[in-house]
Amino acid sequence: MNIAFFYALTGIGLFTLGLYALIKHKHLLRKILAINVMGSGVLLVLVALAARTQNTPDPVPHAMVITGIVVAISATALALALMLRLCETSGRAELPDEPME
Amino acid sequence: MEALTLLSWGFDVTLGGTLMWLAWRTLASEDLFKGIVLFIAFGLLMALAWVRLDAPDIALAEAAIGAGLTGALLLAALAKLESGSKESQPLQESTITKAMVNKSDKQILFRLLLVILLSVFVAGLVYVVLSLPLQTIGLSETVAENLDASGVSNPVTAVLLNFRAYDTLLELAVLLLALLGIWSLRSPSERNESASGKVLDMLTRLLVPLLILVSGYLLWVGGHAPGGAFQAGSVLAAAGVLLLLTGWRPGVRFAGLALRFALVMGLAVFVIVAVVMVLLGGRLLEFPLSFAGNFILLIEAAATLSIGITLAALFFGTRPKPAQSSASREESGAQER
Amino acid sequence: MLMQNIPWLVMMIVLPLVGAMFCFLFPQRVKLLGLITALVIVVSVTALASQVVEQGALRYAVGGWGAPLGINLYVDGLSLLMLLVTALVGLAISVYSIAYFNQEKSQHFWPLWMLLWTALNALFLSADLFNLYVTLELLGLSAVALVALAGGANALGAAMRYLFVSLLGSLFYLLALALLYHSFATVDIAILAQRIEATPAVWAAMALMTAGLLLKTALFPLHFWLPPAHANAPAPVSALLSALVVKASFYILLRLWLEVFPLPNAALVQFLGLLGSGAVLWGGVQALRQTRLKMLIAYSTVAQLGYLFIAFPLATSMAWKGALYLLISHALAKSSMFLAAGNLQLFGGHDRITHLDRVAQRLPLTLAAFALAGVSIMGLPPSGGFVGKWLLLDAALRTGQWWWAVILILGSLLAAAYIFKVIGHAFTQAEVPHEEGEVSRMMEWVAFVLALAAIVLGLIASWPLALMDIGTPFNSGVAQ
Repeated sequence: MNIAFFYALTGIGLFTLGLYALIKHKHLLRKILAINVMGSGVLLVLVALAARTQNTPDPVPHAMVITGIVVAISATALALALMLRLCETSGRAELPDEPME
Repeated sequence: MEALTLLSWGFDVTLGGTLMWLAWRTLASEDLFKGIVLFIAFGLLMALAWVRLDAPDIALAEAAIGAGLTGALLLAALAKLESGSKESQPLQESTITKAMVNKSDKQILFRLLLVILLSVFVAGLVYVVLSLPLQTIGLSETVAENLDASGVSNPVTAVLLNFRAYDTLLELAVLLLALLGIWSLRSPSERNESASGKVLDMLTRLLVPLLILVSGYLLWVGGHAPGGAFQAGSVLAAAGVLLLLTGWRPGVRFAGLALRFALVMGLAVFVIVAVVMVLLGGRLLEFPLSFAGNFILLIEAAATLSIGITLAALFFGTRPKPAQSSASREESGAQER
Repeated sequence: MLMQNIPWLVMMIVLPLVGAMFCFLFPQRVKLLGLITALVIVVSVTALASQVVEQGALRYAVGGWGAPLGINLYVDGLSLLMLLVTALVGLAISVYSIAYFNQEKSQHFWPLWMLLWTALNALFLSADLFNLYVTLELLGLSAVALVALAGGANALGAAMRYLFVSLLGSLFYLLALALLYHSFATVDIAILAQRIEATPAVWAAMALMTAGLLLKTALFPLHFWLPPAHANAPAPVSALLSALVVKASFYILLRLWLEVFPLPNAALVQFLGLLGSGAVLWGGVQALRQTRLKMLIAYSTVAQLGYLFIAFPLATSMAWKGALYLLISHALAKSSMFLAAGNLQLFGGHDRITHLDRVAQRLPLTLAAFALAGVSIMGLPPSGGFVGKWLLLDAALRTGQWWWAVILILGSLLAAAYIFKVIGHAFTQAEVPHEEGEVSRMMEWVAFVLALAAIVLGLIASWPLALMDIGTPFNSGVAQ
């Protein structure tokens, strides 16, 4: 197993850690942090496996990851603004309780 | 040579382990401020990981956008959250919940189930990843073959701005969309220039011109070395964030149509270039061989400006109130009735 | 002829994008610009339709590179149908929104809506998995922003939950994409279809992608986010979400299962059908229990989405077509219902079902729209919903899987129950009659025309069904 696989496994670990935190925590800011960690995990998997080539790594996943980083900050910015607005109107930085099922 | 490989292995294992540890501390930290700072550190270490994986373009983008700007956004949000909550809604995990030592059995069962499920999940994924072939070519050879025709010599820029430029175009739309969404949540804010400390002022005076220079350099060099529009744009945004922190606000004249033009320009130039090629009989985003490099630079230049301003505007949060033109004064007058 | 030389494929994506930029640049003229864009898009989709009918399925290599290096766009009968429905519902929503939103809200609504339309069109035309990811993000973020436009704690909370769900689904999708790319060195759907093999990585990718897309399509039991989001959004936004946005992820799922993942998996498809049945029954029962009209309609969406997944275990060409017919009829009928509910809400100031206060007499056109739309939702003839259900029933009986037929019938009964509940209350008099709000004629007519279209779909079934065959997307059915 070479180094690429090691980083790919780290990526999976980050993804799962983030998933656990997303489900477990109630505070919206923590959930946003969790999503970001998950995203980093996936991007790490993408690029790590691209380093399996002989010489220069495969540039297509690199481009995908740059796109992914920009998309991530866009989503984070929107999520933070929504969180602030929600906190102002409802008083709590948490998701409202689920509707009656 | 043995020692060197051992050393590099040791470095990577330490890096990977620290990444996991930082992620865990970020998410489990009691204090949100500490958590965000740890997240910024996590981002910087990710940038290091990208370097280890031979991805310097991504490292630049991660450091500037993933660690820097995202960190700034998170800290700003935390500050507004803290100043906004006047009542006793604490922002750390509330002391009330901390005191609830006796978690209900149902909760513990749920947690256990979740941990078991996720362990199975991780095990499955680990098995799947390890089952992939050790060596592969991917598309690196295809890219190398077509690199000359792309107009740039940095393969990542070639993919981003030529081979898969359509993705980049949509991505610029996503960035603009985020800003539109944020602006739609609140009404425009009045100009409120806040005074800032002398140190910040002086630092800003030094750094902003430097950042603008670095941004220009990154834009230019992206054609043949790591760099490009996103990296350059994010450095420009960092300059913008610094300016905003010192209390600078865009002139009232520029907060209306001019600002909107600047925000839209990257996407607009991209679309115009794309459509022009269609009108000339080619395909969407098909750059003619001789001009490809110039088109890419043009698009990247416009994009850098837009990305920089958009990211800085994302940080600022609210839309600056434009000067009241006579038309809009009529509108708001009519609305009040 | 000039019409043939213009790549209408490309126009479908560029037009709403340009419209969004213009709406953003010139907020004073936002309504006019938005309407013009909508009309031009409708013209464009008609031109594309005639091009496809004549030339068959089209593949377009963006940038001239072609897959696997570049990104390919692809239009066949299936994607054309989705584009047509999107254009029709989009035009209706555009007209409705001109009357519905005040000037200030319009300035925010129109650029967001145009970007949503861009995302939808780009999604339906894309043949590249990563490009689909970017369009999914564009779609998700714009949908969330549009939900949040309603303001108020309910809408904001629903939007926040929707955002997390959307991001989670996208991340699962992206992880699956990483596995697929690193197995086969491409993200192009057509090339993947050729290279795919049943390796562990592919199984994992299939599971992850399906999970992510099911979350976005709100299939039971992953539907929890949908009712609050669709119910608390502004009425035209609710219509868009139920009619189109939720179908986009289903479309991707369908494409993947038909082309990329035809692996032997009998148990898996039965499982999907089971979840679909759960959605039909649970959604129907929950709809009956609701006191708010928009929540009822939202749960009805949950139920109707379940039908789409019953086609998976049936897997014949007719079953897929039935599901698609249900999809487009639902798009028309559900958007009509939400617009009608919007009218009722503006009129009475609330949307409590038991206090509808003789709406039948005071807003007859709106009620007629709701009733007609209900006919399609119930699956009564003549309507698009009937044709879809009939095709599914037929397929169920032919393949000997009669239990799905039972679910279909039960679903229709439940739908009849909750539709008649609403209509019944519309004739009664509330204890405390209240002020009449203003509902413009245009808004009533739009709701009515959409419902009428759902009925008309039941009368002209042969043409859409023939359209679906272009490019033969249903030949490589899921292997049994």
